[in-house]
Amino acid sequence: MTRTEHVALKGTRDGLVLYFDPAADFGVLMNELDKLLKNSVQLLQGASVRCYSGKKEFTEDEHAGLETILKKRQLELTGWLTPEEVGVPGKSQSYATQDKETRIWEEGMEEGSCLFVERTLRSGKSVQFDGHVVVLGDVNPGAEIIATGNIAVLGSLRGVAHAGATGERKASVSAYHLAPTQLRIADVVTRGPADEADGRGPEIARIKDDQLIVESAGVKSWRGKAR
Amino acid sequence: MGEVIVVTSGKGGVGKTTTSANIGTGLAAAGHKVVLVDTDIGLRNLDVVMGLENRIVYDLVDVTSGNCRLKQALIKDKRFANLFLLPAAQTKDKTAVNPEQMKVLAAELKAEFDYAIIDCPAGIEQGFRNAIAGADRAIVVCTPEVSAVRDADRIIGLLEAAELRNPKLIINRIRPEMVKRGDMMDISDILDILAVELIGVVPEDESIVISTNRGEPAVMDKTSKAGEAYRRITKRITGEEVPLMNLDVPIGIMDRLKRLVGLR
Ligand SMILES: Nc1ncnc2c1ncn2[C@@H]1O[C@H](COP(=O)(O)OP(=O)(O)OP(=O)(O)O)[C@@H](O)[C@H]1O
Ligand SMILES: [Mg+2]
Repeated sequence: MTRTEHVALKGTRDGLVLYFDPAADFGVLMNELDKLLKNSVQLLQGASVRCYSGKKEFTEDEHAGLETILKKRQLELTGWLTPEEVGVPGKSQSYATQDKETRIWEEGMEEGSCLFVERTLRSGKSVQFDGHVVVLGDVNPGAEIIATGNIAVLGSLRGVAHAGATGERKASVSAYHLAPTQLRIADVVTRGPADEADGRGPEIARIKDDQLIVESAGVKSWRGKAR
Repeated sequence: MGEVIVVTSGKGGVGKTTTSANIGTGLAAAGHKVVLVDTDIGLRNLDVVMGLENRIVYDLVDVTSGNCRLKQALIKDKRFANLFLLPAAQTKDKTAVNPEQMKVLAAELKAEFDYAIIDCPAGIEQGFRNAIAGADRAIVVCTPEVSAVRDADRIIGLLEAAELRNPKLIINRIRPEMVKRGDMMDISDILDILAVELIGVVPEDESIVISTNRGEPAVMDKTSKAGEAYRRITKRITGEEVPLMNLDVPIGIMDRLKRLVGLR
């Protein structure tokens, strides 16, 4: 998976998918796409690719522009994905009802496949997963988790976490003790706090208005969110 | 049947060789039959710290490659008849030995000695893999610095992956007055991250430098604070319960330590 600020390219079982940030300007998207393809073109040549940009529709002209850029890199545009088809990353489309998939995507990644890591991730460890990741332990400095879905750490998160890695801005990162070296959600990156305050209790980080916001995730609000 | 204990750290210069020499000497002083093995091929030090440099004829590589028998390469210590050193080769490199050979050697040492202490080179490459190959237990040394703790964490992960679980931690070169001022990581900060059992805290101590240069481990020096720390560590290795020495670290931290140090 590669990405720039507003464009993400991901390999799935059904081929390559290009994700465009629906909120971004077309010119910006094409610029970033060009850069992204330039860097990964060796791997991709001759592949077919499908695109996704949420509910946003491209004009005829924009569509043509996009195809030109893809052709230049010998990629073939074979179609567009609807929000229904994208669903939750990592979840196969075939069995779940389409309606439910849409709701999940819209409301922010509450379901989907999940990886349980039943130990502490020490320095040098990297976990990458197409879906959500739950760590039953700590994530130490020098360790990283990259997930297309949410990340939840039952202990201390002191390493690097990247949730919504394929561009899902509704993903969240939560931890009992949230003190990451660096936190990324979709395309938004922040550094951890310089001074590590103790005993704040569980916290959750999300994107709000293009910014990463950290809030207390007390028991009450967890319950409130669940239903 | 003896035990093979590897002393490792990841980061260089944190005190693996100092620790190996002191633990080995301490165990020998307590009457155990001990061999020290220097696996830092190409950068051997343990012979110097033990003051045995001028007695080396054969080395580790000679043994593993069959150039000589184990007995021929072992150097008897100056002070203790039950303490031996198997020196590293200085003119070869880490690839001159492989983990399989180290396992064979470890088995041979265990049959002969109560304790084999393996001094591991810095890093996570072949030298490290050689050093841990035949080990039953591991001691991880780190200093109160962020980088040393990070490397120790990495090493603990690699040890776990190699089925060397529950390594014990030594924090070396702690300076109580710096901790007090808040200028140095304190012990609980380190244990928070590493989450392993602490087996000792060794203060920064000039006597280490002096004894190292003299080739006489500080553990034999009754007036040395670091020596005292190593005497206690030695006892803990043999399963004795000993309290941590009073290093004048601020209260609170010491309280917490008592809970964290698993004394069995
Ligand atoms: N507690 C201490 N107080 C003062 N000096 C110390 C202490 N521990 C170690 N030193 C000094 O630090 C230096 C490095 O120690 P040592 O050689 O034991 O580290 P090492 O981990 O074996 O290094 P390497 O990775 O190079 O093998 C030596 O000069 C030693 O004298
Ligand atoms: Mg050394």
